[in-house]
Amino acid sequence: MIPVLTYSWHFVGILFAAACFAGFFGALLGVGGGIIIVPAMVLISHLPIKIAVAASLVSVIATSNAGGSAYVEQHITNLRLGMFLEIATTLGALSGSILALFLQDWLMLFIFAALLAYMGYASFVTRRTDTERITTDSFRLAKPDRLARYLSLRGVYHDEHENKNVEYVVTGTPVGLGVSYLAGITSGLLGVGGGVLKVSAMNQSMNVPMKVAVGTSKMMIGVTAAVGAIIFFLAGLVHFPVVAPVAIGTTLGATVGTMVMNKLPSTLLKWIFAALMAYLAYSMVAKGLALHFGVHWPQLG
Amino acid sequence: MPPRATNSASHGKHVLPPPQAGEAAANVYAAVYEVLLGGMYVSTTLYIIGTLLALFQHVRVPLTVAWVKHQMEWHVFWHGLTHFRAEAILLLATVVLILTPVSRVVLSIYAFWVDHDRRYVGVTSIVFGVIVLTVILSRFAHLH
Repeated sequence: MIPVLTYSWHFVGILFAAACFAGFFGALLGVGGGIIIVPAMVLISHLPIKIAVAASLVSVIATSNAGGSAYVEQHITNLRLGMFLEIATTLGALSGSILALFLQDWLMLFIFAALLAYMGYASFVTRRTDTERITTDSFRLAKPDRLARYLSLRGVYHDEHENKNVEYVVTGTPVGLGVSYLAGITSGLLGVGGGVLKVSAMNQSMNVPMKVAVGTSKMMIGVTAAVGAIIFFLAGLVHFPVVAPVAIGTTLGATVGTMVMNKLPSTLLKWIFAALMAYLAYSMVAKGLALHFGVHWPQLG
Repeated sequence: MPPRATNSASHGKHVLPPPQAGEAAANVYAAVYEVLLGGMYVSTTLYIIGTLLALFQHVRVPLTVAWVKHQMEWHVFWHGLTHFRAEAILLLATVVLILTPVSRVVLSIYAFWVDHDRRYVGVTSIVFGVIVLTVILSRFAHLH
């Protein structure tokens, strides 16, 4: 029997609410929000994971447009760095999307759960801020590698919290390219933006201040997701009536999130995010086990 | 330290010049900003209209590839659009949304070209090349 979705206020309302939440957190943390949207569609709306991944990829573009444009306007984004790393992320997204079309659902659920667990862990351990590095001017004093020098990968932005202009020099471009390729694969495979991987690579391996990493990642995830979305779209997997409430919700959530980012305590946000990731990882593993092995773990909540 | 400047796209807000200070790089920033914002407004408006229509038209969506492909046929899409059908408007919104970052890449190539920044014309063209490769593979390699 072919599953048929009846468009109702209830269906639209649930997806819209989950998407607002995802877009809001996505803007605060520089991620696409797919990491919340996909589990919501699978666990609450009971949609097949491939349809959820396809819809999520399109909504990641929406959140990138909304959040990315604000950070570009403020010149927090480093456009050159973003475009350079997009070479690797688009190639990764192409590989990941092709892989997703051939993978079984239960395996995708397990891979997704592993990514959720990693994101929770990363959010928990990256609670410290860039304040110390800004104070000691260490972002400016780093030595660029050859490629970074050739491509003029350096920059300056105005940090409103510190009330000073922060100069930085980009280093570690080979590591950045490698991690960006992996981020692209996760994006195409799982319908997420891959923002957490990009932000941590830029901030921890490439000497890019956190706010610049968030802004640049926010812009990049749009193009990364577009590559995956094109493949799913032409394969007939993007059910646009499903995408609609998700895209509207993520756009709204990302717009609000971008406006309030500087007013909220980031430590608390990261705690909430880590706990949410742990819960969703457990739920996705439970669904994968039930789907493929017939093993039923107890439901939380 | 580079001086503060007002970007034409910033609606009067005082912002820093881009990392590679100067008018040339500012042109790319303004172009990217306009495309992202324009894509967001157009697609969101179409999605809101389409969603409301779908709710009032009680649209039923079979979760199959065949249904989606049927909606994507040119005559079905055009007929739906001229008769104000929710499916066609939502399809149009999705196409606009997907094309927004692609347009941003194309416009960036042009902006870098105008600014005589050959290195970044090359970098951005590679990104566009991957997008074109994606479309070619999707159309001709039967990835489904």
